[in-house]
Amino acid sequence: MTGGARLLWVCGGLLALLVAVAIGSLLVGAAPVPPGAVLDLLTGRGPAGGSDRTVVLSIRLPRVAAAMLAGGALAVAGAGFQALTRNPLAEPSILGVSGGAAFGVVLAQVSGLGQGVVEALGLTVFGFTGAVAAGAAVYLIASSAAGFPVHTLLLAGVIVGIFFSAAITVLISIVDANRLGGVIHWLLGSVAPIPPSQLGIFALATAAGVWLVLGQARALNLLALGEEGALELGVDALRVKRRIFVGAALLTGTVVAFVGPIGFIGLIVPQVFRMLLGPDNRVLVPAALLGGGAFLLAADTLARTVVAPAELSVGVLTSFCGAPFFIWLLRSRVARVTP
Amino acid sequence: MTALTEFRDVSFAYPAGAKGRAPFELRELSFALAPGEVLGLIGPNAAGKTTVIRLLSRVLRPSRGTIMVAGEPAESLGRVAVARRIAVVPQDVPQGFPYTVEQLVLMGRFPHAPARFFESREDLRIARAAMAMTGVEALAAEPLDRLSGGERQRVVLARALAQEPRLLVLDEPTSHLDLRYQAECVALLRRLNRDRGLGILLVSHDLNLAAEVSDRLLLLAGGAAVRLGAPEDVLQESLLEAVYGCRVSVDKHPATGRPTVSVLWPDGR
Amino acid sequence: MSRPLRRLALIALGLVWTASGAAALTVVDQTGRSLSLPAPPRRIVSLVPSVTEVLYAIGAQDALVGVTDFCDYPPEARRKPHVGDMLSPNLETLVTLKPDLVVATRSGNREETFDQLKRLGIPVYLVDPLTVDDVRRLVADLGDLTGHRDRAAAVDHDLERRIAAVRDRVKDRPQPRVLYVLWPEPLIVPGRGALVSELIALAGGASVTADQGQGYPRMSLEAAVGRAPEVIVLARHGSRVGPTAREQWLRLESMPAIKSGRLYLADGDLMHRYGPRLAIGLEKLARMIHPEAFDAPAGAPRPGAPR
Repeated sequence: MTGGARLLWVCGGLLALLVAVAIGSLLVGAAPVPPGAVLDLLTGRGPAGGSDRTVVLSIRLPRVAAAMLAGGALAVAGAGFQALTRNPLAEPSILGVSGGAAFGVVLAQVSGLGQGVVEALGLTVFGFTGAVAAGAAVYLIASSAAGFPVHTLLLAGVIVGIFFSAAITVLISIVDANRLGGVIHWLLGSVAPIPPSQLGIFALATAAGVWLVLGQARALNLLALGEEGALELGVDALRVKRRIFVGAALLTGTVVAFVGPIGFIGLIVPQVFRMLLGPDNRVLVPAALLGGGAFLLAADTLARTVVAPAELSVGVLTSFCGAPFFIWLLRSRVARVTP
Repeated sequence: MTALTEFRDVSFAYPAGAKGRAPFELRELSFALAPGEVLGLIGPNAAGKTTVIRLLSRVLRPSRGTIMVAGEPAESLGRVAVARRIAVVPQDVPQGFPYTVEQLVLMGRFPHAPARFFESREDLRIARAAMAMTGVEALAAEPLDRLSGGERQRVVLARALAQEPRLLVLDEPTSHLDLRYQAECVALLRRLNRDRGLGILLVSHDLNLAAEVSDRLLLLAGGAAVRLGAPEDVLQESLLEAVYGCRVSVDKHPATGRPTVSVLWPDGR
Repeated sequence: MSRPLRRLALIALGLVWTASGAAALTVVDQTGRSLSLPAPPRRIVSLVPSVTEVLYAIGAQDALVGVTDFCDYPPEARRKPHVGDMLSPNLETLVTLKPDLVVATRSGNREETFDQLKRLGIPVYLVDPLTVDDVRRLVADLGDLTGHRDRAAAVDHDLERRIAAVRDRVKDRPQPRVLYVLWPEPLIVPGRGALVSELIALAGGASVTADQGQGYPRMSLEAAVGRAPEVIVLARHGSRVGPTAREQWLRLESMPAIKSGRLYLADGDLMHRYGPRLAIGLEKLARMIHPEAFDAPAGAPRPGAPR
C-alpha cells in the first residue's frame, strides 16, 4: 500500500471515530435532553428556542468543538516535538510556552485586569501574550548557539518554564483569598464552551500550527538519521527546527490561552499512535490530530458526566490516566533496550 | 572529463571555541576524483578524514577554497542538488524511532523530489532494487532496532544507493562486518564501480582493504595531504612510519600484486 | 362623556396600561452595572450562599429555583435544585432551570461564569457587600427586586436594631486588641474593607490587622504574635479548623490572649456571610470581646467553649 493510500485509510477511520465520539458527547450531559431532540437540533429541525436548544447548541456544541481542537492541537504539538528532539518522552509543556501562557492568564485574574472585558478575548489575549513572550525567550536563547541546536532548545524551554512556574507561585501567594479559588480552578485545566468568534480564532491558530508541523513531516522523518544524516540528504535542518518549534509553540500556547493547561495529551496520544501506526510522521501527525481530538473529547465528556452536576477537572483526569501510562511506557522501553 | 568532485585549496577550521584556539582541521587540501574512480582516503586519527566527508556532504562549509561537484561549485548548487550527486554512507544510524528498513531506504529518495509529501511508485521501485543489491530485501518490514550491526550497515548502504548518486562516500564501511560480509561488500562496490561507473571515496582504517580496492590513495596527516597517488607510491615503509609513528613492513600481495601493510608489533620492552 | 370621546379615553387608558406593564425593568446591581429585565424576576438562581439566606429571610424563596451546593441555611434551602459549586456551576443544569436572573458575586464566583451566562442570554446581578451598610442595602435591593419590599424593610430594621444594641453595650469601654484568624495556615486575617474588620470595631474591639492590606490578606505568624493580641478568635468553616489548630495557638504562650485564656472559636458562617445572621455573629463577637458587658458567668471564660 502506498503512503498516500495508507494515510487515507487511517484518517478515514479516525475521522469516523471522532464523529462518533462527538455525537455521543452531544447526547449526554447534566441536562436531560432526549436523543431525538438532540439530533433534531443538530440537523436544524428543532424548536427555535427553549432550554434544550441552548443546552445543545450553545453549551455542548461549543464545548465539544473546543475539546476536539485542544486535543488535536496538543497531540500534534507533541508529535512534532518528539520527532524534533528524537525523544518519545518529550512533552509540549517542556517548550516553556505553556508556562508563559498560564502566567499571562493568572496575572490577568489576580490583578483584575481581565475583569469587565466581557465577551472580548480578555483572558485569552493575556494568555497569548504570555505564550509569545515565553516562546520568544526560548527562541532567542536557542538561536544564540549556531545552528539552533536541539539540546539548547530543550534546556531553554525547561528554564523558561521553570521561571514562569515560579512566577505563578508568587502570584498565587499574594492573591486575595477570594480569587484564589478561581485561579486554582483554571490552573487545573478544564474545557469550557467557547463563543463562536473565539472558536474561529482558535481553529485558525490550530490550523496554522498543524500546517507548520505537517509541512515538515517528511523532513522530520529524515531527522531520525541524525541531524548530520538529514543534512547529507539535503534537508534544511535549520528551517525544519524553526518551523517545528514555532508550530508546536503556537499550538501549545493557543490551547493554554483558550482552555487552560491540560497535561499528558501531548505525550500519550503521539506515543499510542506511533505504536499502532509506526513512526512515519506523515501518517502520525494527521492521526494525532484526529485521535487527540477524540481522546480529549472523550475525557472531557467523562469529566462532565461522571459526577454531574459537579465536574471533574479534565486536566486532573488526563494526568491520572497519564501517570500509569508513562510508567508502563518507561518499563516497556527499558525492556526493549536491555537485551 | 569533469571530475566528480574537486577540492581546490580547501581549508577548514572550526570557529574559535571556548578554549580560544582554532586549529585548522584542513590546510589547503587539493585533489580531484575522476568519474568512475575509486579513491581511498587514509591517515591516522584526527587527520581530517571525517572533515573531508563533512565538507563534501555540505554539513560543513569550507573556511577557504572551493569545492566543486560535477564541475560546479557546491556553494551554488545547493544542498539538495549536491545530495543528488553525492551519497554518504555513515558508519551507523542513530537508534531512535523504529523505522522499518524500507522506510529508511526510501529516505534516500528525498533529494530527487523534496517537495513531494509521499514517495512515488518509481521511488519505491528504486528503493527495492537498492535493497536487493545489498541483500536486505527480505528485511524490508523489519524495524531497525531489531537488526544486527552488519545488517544495519547494509541497510545504510542501500539507502545511499537509492539516492542514485554519481559519487559514493563510504565512512569505514566494513568496520562492523565479519569476513564474509566484508568480502560481499567489496564485491558489491567493485560491481557498482565497474558496471555503473560509480565513483567511490572510501575512508578506511584498513590500509589493505583500501590498497586492494582503490585506484589511488590520498594519505592525510595533520590536516594536510601528505601524498596522493597509486597505492604502491603511497604505501611506502618510511612514509608510513613517519605518519603513523610505528614500524611497518610493506610487501606485495601474492595474488593481486597490490601492496600489503603489516604492522611490526613492538615487543613492549 | 360622549361616545367617541369615551372610546378614545379607554384606548388611551389601555395604551398607558400596556406601556407600563411592558416597560423593561432596569435595575442597577451592587457593582454599578445596570441590567435590563423584561419583567420582575420570578425564577432566580443564587450562586451565593449569603444571597440564598437573604432571599429566604425576606420571604422570596418561592422565586428561588436554583442554589449552590454550599447554600445550607436555612436547611430548607438544601432541598432546592443544585447547580454545583460556586466556582464552576454546571451550565447545563442552570439553563434547564430556565432562570430569568442569576445572582452572583465577584468574590467567590468566577468572571468566566458571568461571561458564559451573558453569552447564553441570562442576566447576572452582581453583589459585593464590603460593609455592614452594604449588607443592609443588599437586603433592601433584593427586596425591591423580588417585590418583597416590606419584609426586607422589617429584616433591615431588625438588623439595625440589634447592631445598635451591641454598639450601646460596648461603647466607652476600653478596646482590647483582637486578632481574628480566618485561616490558620497560611495565616489569613481581615484587613481594610473586610466585613469582619467592621464587625470587630462594632463589637468594641481593636483589630490588630485592620491596616494589613485590602480584603483578607496573608500575614506572618510572627507579626501577628508581635501585635500582642488580647483576644484571639479562630474562624471555623464547617469543621475545617479542628482542635489541632487550637492547640498550635495555645502553645504561643507569650501572647496576652493565651495567658488570660481568651482564645475563642467562632462559626465562620455567621461572620462572613452577609445576611440577617450577621447580627448573631456580631453579638457573639461582642460577647467574646466584652464578656463583662453581657450576662457572662463569673470567672474567666473557658477557651474554646462554643458560644
